[in-house]
Amino acid sequence: MATLDHPELRESLNILLKNSRPRLERVLRNFEIPPEDAEDILQDAQLTLLYKWDKIRSPESWLIGTVKKKCIMYWRKRRGSLCEAVDTAILDLLAVPQAPDQEKTELTSDLNRVLARLSTRCRSLLKLRYGMGYGPTEVAEQMGYRTSSIRKVTNRCLAALTRQLLAVGFDREPEVEPQDG
Amino acid sequence: MDKHPHRKLLSRFGLGKLHRRGNREIVRHLLEDCEECRQVTSRYLPKLEYGTAFEAAQREVESRQAQLVAERVDAGELLRELLAQPFERQEILVTQEGSHYCTWGFCELLLDAAREWGFQDPARAIELARIGVEVAERLDAGAYGRTRVRDLAARAWGILGNAQRIRDDFRTAEKSFAQAELRLREGTGDPLEKAQIQLFKASHFGNQQRFREAFRLLDRVVAVGRRCGDPHLWGKALIMRGFLLGLANDPEAAIRHLSEGLQKVDSASDPRLVVAAQHNLTLYLAESGRYGEALRLLESARPLYRQVGDQMSLLRLRWLEGKIASALGHYRESEELLRGVQKELIERELGYDAALLSLDLATIYARDGRSAEMRRLAEEMLPIFKSQDIHREAFAALFVFQKAAEMERVTLGLIRDVTGYLKESRATWSQRSRQAR
Repeated sequence: MATLDHPELRESLNILLKNSRPRLERVLRNFEIPPEDAEDILQDAQLTLLYKWDKIRSPESWLIGTVKKKCIMYWRKRRGSLCEAVDTAILDLLAVPQAPDQEKTELTSDLNRVLARLSTRCRSLLKLRYGMGYGPTEVAEQMGYRTSSIRKVTNRCLAALTRQLLAVGFDREPEVEPQDG
Repeated sequence: MDKHPHRKLLSRFGLGKLHRRGNREIVRHLLEDCEECRQVTSRYLPKLEYGTAFEAAQREVESRQAQLVAERVDAGELLRELLAQPFERQEILVTQEGSHYCTWGFCELLLDAAREWGFQDPARAIELARIGVEVAERLDAGAYGRTRVRDLAARAWGILGNAQRIRDDFRTAEKSFAQAELRLREGTGDPLEKAQIQLFKASHFGNQQRFREAFRLLDRVVAVGRRCGDPHLWGKALIMRGFLLGLANDPEAAIRHLSEGLQKVDSASDPRLVVAAQHNLTLYLAESGRYGEALRLLESARPLYRQVGDQMSLLRLRWLEGKIASALGHYRESEELLRGVQKELIERELGYDAALLSLDLATIYARDGRSAEMRRLAEEMLPIFKSQDIHREAFAALFVFQKAAEMERVTLGLIRDVTGYLKESRATWSQRSRQAR
């Protein structure tokens, strides 16, 4: 297998890093990773690739897979405060007792309009959360996710919803399904 | 649309500094698609621009790359320097504070050497792997990254455990594998690193006839090989399954898995594995009575045996040739080959193998009706009894054989039974030693 002791093979690592950049950017964007944290994720994955270069047979797929995994771990560990604020606010709005029917109808209609711009999977997940009042375990059961992974999927959908609400110009979210696992 | 919230409130919302009720009002307003307020809130969204992140990562990789290349250049000389010392001194040299041996590049080379020596000289492999463990455990986590250092320590413990397994020291091997798994849990989570340890453990379970556990691990390795686009790893797992199916007395399934595995592995990067796979495939073909296929495979594999060139592989090649010659009735040729191999196995203190090979010789004498040679063979087996890796039950089986030889009452059936018993008791013994902990 290749080693890094020769200049031409060192070059091949650099070429690989350059070529894989568009795919890695897509992964980071799909996972809504803030750029300041993306630097840590990228650096850690790329350094591990450097140290293990001789033992990895498909470096590009290894690198993409590792970055994806790190993105999943990222969301497992934290939840953005802005996303949390949006989520709590919507849950509060939906839970207001004795709100006039018209207000409720308008709220539901506005919420559905925003959700319609999200990917199918996020739309379904958030409809269960907000529309049906399901908790994480019930959402996981309904959507066929493992209970252990529902939190990170929900976090990613909330990040997408927050972006739709706060960003200038409503772009439709790409139909990229959040991964289970 | 309701009145717009004050810009200050929008900013405080964006910064996560607004109270719960305020958040609710802003979100309700934003749900109405207020483009004007979004002009304010969008500033607080992280911009998903990764240019700076990529550039910073690239700079760091380049700087570490230069350091790693320098370490690897030095590693060869360091290894020669260290191996020139007696083992005890080697340990002192690597464990003293500020040791210049504690680099990633040197540790890798040491572990590769330990792995390489595994089957040729297991005792030496254990020594090298022990030093590898010492070095890996002392690597600077700040310089190389804590999780990566943990991965390398896991690899070192795994290689040590594997060398101990090859020496039939199953109890110690199991402890080493447990250490490897502990390190993996604190590592990067790299599936390939984990798969290597699983391969070692599968061999270990296989030696102890714990086939279900071994096959479960191998299924996971196959899955990792597929997912990571690594056909070599996938092939390795199939070959290992083939080895274990052979041990489990299912030669047909073993032949299938070995053949499939051989198609997937990269022979250039792991010729030793390919030799081992071809060797076992030949053996199972011969045991299934498919001598023609076995001989053809043996002929085609012969150059690779020479290329690999280690003594154990060549020794096993001669043993295999002797077995096939015996099965084809070429007794003189077979005896000559087996006698040579027997002598070397005894010299290497590989008692079980020497005992099993003596029983192959006994088969020739029984078939050929040579009772005088049979008696002499039984007498010559005494040094094997003294070998350190033979345990009490196996002594008993060999003793029965020796007595039968003295009384000229050895039959092919007895030889088959003693051979089967020896193979089985080797696994049972290791199993018992595991349960006795």
